[in-house]
Amino acid sequence: MECPRNSGQEPELFVAYAAESLPPATSTALERHMAVCAECRRTAEDQRRVWSALDSWEPEFISGDFDRKVYARIAAEGQRSVRHANWALRPALPIAAVCAVVLAGYLLREPAVPQNPSPRVDMEQVERALDDIDMLNKMGVASQD
Amino acid sequence: MVGMEPLDMAAVSAQPSWNERVNSNVTASACLERDAELMLRVRDGDQTSFSLLLGKHRVPLIHFLFRMVQNQSIAEDLAQEVFLRVYRSRENYQPTAKFTTWLFRIATHLALNCIRDGKHEKLQDSLDQHSEDGTPRQLPDRARTVEQELLYQARLDEVRQAIQALPAKQRAAVLMHKYEEMEYTQIANVLSCSDSAVKSLLFRAYETLRGRLAHMA
Repeated sequence: MECPRNSGQEPELFVAYAAESLPPATSTALERHMAVCAECRRTAEDQRRVWSALDSWEPEFISGDFDRKVYARIAAEGQRSVRHANWALRPALPIAAVCAVVLAGYLLREPAVPQNPSPRVDMEQVERALDDIDMLNKMGVASQD
Repeated sequence: MVGMEPLDMAAVSAQPSWNERVNSNVTASACLERDAELMLRVRDGDQTSFSLLLGKHRVPLIHFLFRMVQNQSIAEDLAQEVFLRVYRSRENYQPTAKFTTWLFRIATHLALNCIRDGKHEKLQDSLDQHSEDGTPRQLPDRARTVEQELLYQARLDEVRQAIQALPAKQRAAVLMHKYEEMEYTQIANVLSCSDSAVKSLLFRAYETLRGRLAHMA
């Protein structure tokens, strides 16, 4: 049963008392205590004056177009997002174009010259070689005769 | 000295009266589910649900940001950014925390960055001020005489200066506690710290404010 100033409960108690948020029983007990404790009475009165002074700070006016500005900012952000998405895609477009050109060039290029000669050419060479050998053989036989 | 019963400090918390707090438990729970449900619908592409969330949280969020940076134009810019980030995050949204905790975490993060970067240089707001495209601002109904208005402005300046003099994190904690009626645990979740750290922030802040504002009648 001690004075709130001694129990360490003073700040919270007097703030709650000024705010009228104390449980009724606690409030009554505090008022009984303050009837005989000048120090607590003064603290409570000071806190009540602070509360009253703060109450006098009435809310300021609000712009009539506040909501419109909020929606405008939301809309602007939406447009910015779309623009940002377009901007992000912008570098991809030339890259895609270059890729398309390269791919088209690859698909439409002329057939490469085959590295190996065709079998038909080989046969001609073989025939010519055989003819040459025959001719040499005949010449050799004639010279031996 | 009249003694007191030991206090249940866990029960001593945020702002609404005890009875209001008890009565609002069910409502708060329903709100939590409602906001999360709306956000899940936004995730599924429902624009109307986003409009409902915007309509519900626009005013407290702007008021919080204004009191943080003390510049209406910057506060509204930051609030727009908060809702933009909410919308941007819709596809990944998971209702693991209270929606307002998430919302104020984003707002506090932006406000602290703004304060750190010194972008909240105080501009003079005028009652005649119109928004950029000439649309009139929504003015609260303040039926005061000239004298009352002068007194109010003097008092307001003192309060604003006292709040502005607080370190940014203490300021955020006080504003959420005092004006948004958040409990310690929710403030802790917003600021990503422990409950005890929030209490420490708050009580140091209120002690400073008592020193500066307690003379005001």
